[in-house]
Amino acid sequence: MTEPALRVENIRKSFGDHEVLKGISMTAAKGDVVAILGASGSGKSTFLRCINLLETPSDGKVWLKGEEMRMTDRRGIRRPADLKQVERMRAKLAMVFQGFNLWSHMTVLENIIEGPVHVLGTPRREARDKAAALLAKVGLSDRADYYPAHLSGGQQQRVAIARALAMEPDVMLFDEPTSALDPELVGEVLAVMRALADEGRTMLVVTHEMAFARDVSTRTVFLHQGQVCEEGAPDDLFRNPQTQQFRAFLSRMN
Amino acid sequence: MENLLSFIPLDLPLIVQNLDRFLQGVGVTLGLTFLSLALGGAMAVPLAIARASRHRVLNPLIWAYTYVFRGTPLLVQTYLLYYGAGQFQFVRESWLWGPVLSQAWWCALIAFTLNTCAYTTELLRGAIVDTPKGEVEAAIATGMSHSGRLHRIVLPSAFRRAIPAYSNEVIFMLHGSVVASTITLQDILGVGRWLNGRYYLAYEGLITAAVLYFIIVFAITRVFRWLERRYLRHLERRRDPVVRNIAPPMGVK
Amino acid sequence: MDLLLEYREQLLAGLVTTVELALASLVLSVTLGLLGAWAKLSANRAANALAGAYTTVVRGVPDLVLIMLVFFGGQVTVNAIGTATGLWDYVEISQFVAGALTIGVIFGAYFTETFRGAILAIPRGQIEAGISTGMSRPLVFRRIIWPQMVRYAVPGFGNNWLVQLKTTALVSVIGLQDLVYNAFSAGRSTGALFTFMAAAFVIYLALTALSDLGLRALERRYSRGVVRA
Repeated sequence: MTEPALRVENIRKSFGDHEVLKGISMTAAKGDVVAILGASGSGKSTFLRCINLLETPSDGKVWLKGEEMRMTDRRGIRRPADLKQVERMRAKLAMVFQGFNLWSHMTVLENIIEGPVHVLGTPRREARDKAAALLAKVGLSDRADYYPAHLSGGQQQRVAIARALAMEPDVMLFDEPTSALDPELVGEVLAVMRALADEGRTMLVVTHEMAFARDVSTRTVFLHQGQVCEEGAPDDLFRNPQTQQFRAFLSRMN
Repeated sequence: MENLLSFIPLDLPLIVQNLDRFLQGVGVTLGLTFLSLALGGAMAVPLAIARASRHRVLNPLIWAYTYVFRGTPLLVQTYLLYYGAGQFQFVRESWLWGPVLSQAWWCALIAFTLNTCAYTTELLRGAIVDTPKGEVEAAIATGMSHSGRLHRIVLPSAFRRAIPAYSNEVIFMLHGSVVASTITLQDILGVGRWLNGRYYLAYEGLITAAVLYFIIVFAITRVFRWLERRYLRHLERRRDPVVRNIAPPMGVK
Repeated sequence: MDLLLEYREQLLAGLVTTVELALASLVLSVTLGLLGAWAKLSANRAANALAGAYTTVVRGVPDLVLIMLVFFGGQVTVNAIGTATGLWDYVEISQFVAGALTIGVIFGAYFTETFRGAILAIPRGQIEAGISTGMSRPLVFRRIIWPQMVRYAVPGFGNNWLVQLKTTALVSVIGLQDLVYNAFSAGRSTGALFTFMAAAFVIYLALTALSDLGLRALERRYSRGVVRA
């Protein structure tokens, strides 16, 4: 039996007295597209950020292709046991942010080759060639020398996706990738994500796009108050919601 | 009316005659200004990083240093060093006395450097702290180490955003360098005052000095405008960007 | 310490002169700054050009050079004009007047930029909202623009004031008996220049620190209802 691409177990996170995540477990096999739904405040973004340790979970474990991210307790504070290991694993866990977060002082091309060249040690030439291919893939070949501020939101997010792909990640984390976009720009980003799903990428997608969850995800998870409330194949889930909370959520979204 | 006009024309030949002295003054002014900017700027980078990262021991110490040096006049700082140091026997007997601390030029350089370093530290700290949080998170998520983030993302971005404020610091330092003339140095103002004193003039020396300073400020402003155009392009809001250097497809006539 | 106590009156007199000079020039600067901001923002071309030239010259020439020009040159000029026109007899420009005038004019240029920026920072929409409520132009200025301008101007105002206060030290070079001058002469006559310059140093620091505290309080007061980014 092969190891799943990503496995997280019992992730908990508290801010002060407030427990945002109350023990979430999840497994994604290679090629899985997991859509994570939930009302605002349900903890879905925090959950995603706990996976690559942008937030340090108060408890829980993460395995990437069978390798456990080692944590330790020092003076009562949980922290990574080995920062180098975390950095290596983050490089394989690419993230796409709600606010794009492109590096504003670098051109599109420089944004894309930054990680490969300076984190992975790819030769610059090779990185550039690959970046050109990725830009073609997201439909922005003619924007390589632009600065992020000179692109539309949809274009910026497509660049951010190309930047994530350049790391050749094992798992891609999408944190509400279309929430900051004007409605007419959402489609172009979703189209790129759909193409990635079709080519068998492993993706965790926190989203409000019901159609994307229903049509593209292989599995949909509904979070409610920091816990997995419902999960399953999207067809079953959307056609036949089991819980009151998910029914209420769906009726609010439609 | 005749009477009135006769006061206004300057003794131009006298100015021309002493132009070489003024040029030496320009050398002294520029030397002191840019040396202290270079030294102070170089020291400011690590200090600003320590401040921005809220280093537990260094941060309060550096803050105290910048607070004190930004809270007092450069003139007083310079006097304290140049006139004050000699009050102490042990200073006068130390090896630093002869070659450095008894020399006006060195005292000016040290005071100017400490002064500009304090301002530059705070200005850089501000730019570092203002780095968009999301860009740092993106770097973390890419697997960059702490120092990688600092060198590749935070500092390049902060240095660029600091350019406009730093151009003010450069001009203020040039303005401040006139303090050198009060401790006997022949900088631009020093030469101007010498000329006025020597020939009992009211304007010539000072006007010449003013013009020279003005030219230097003009040049500095120009250089920074160019720097801003070059390094702050990425912050300009979306005007339709100029499409640059798109080569025509090969082999197509 | 005993030395300082012995000369405390001289130091105190210097301190008073320094504060008076700073305040006098501040009043002039704020007045000129408001005028300058109005000139820069007005549609009047000549006013624009004049205000532009004013800020350019001030930025281009060091403070001390201008102070000396006014003190040494201004005296001669004023009296030359007086003699030529017969309008006034010999006038003496004191160090205080020359200093307050020059520093006031110099910082008027910086206040011009501060006030101009503050007015520009007010969202246009709010002014339009005022107009569409039927407010007259003066009313819009008094009720919408002015209160917000003050708020946006406070940080810049504070910064200018701190620089201005420190700049007054330069007037000692033309012989005004301010804090620096008096500390220096006391130091020279007692052979304890470090002691006295250090005292001046500490007093300036106290002045700027106090100003800083006061300005922070002012800033808090005026930024109620504004979330800091």
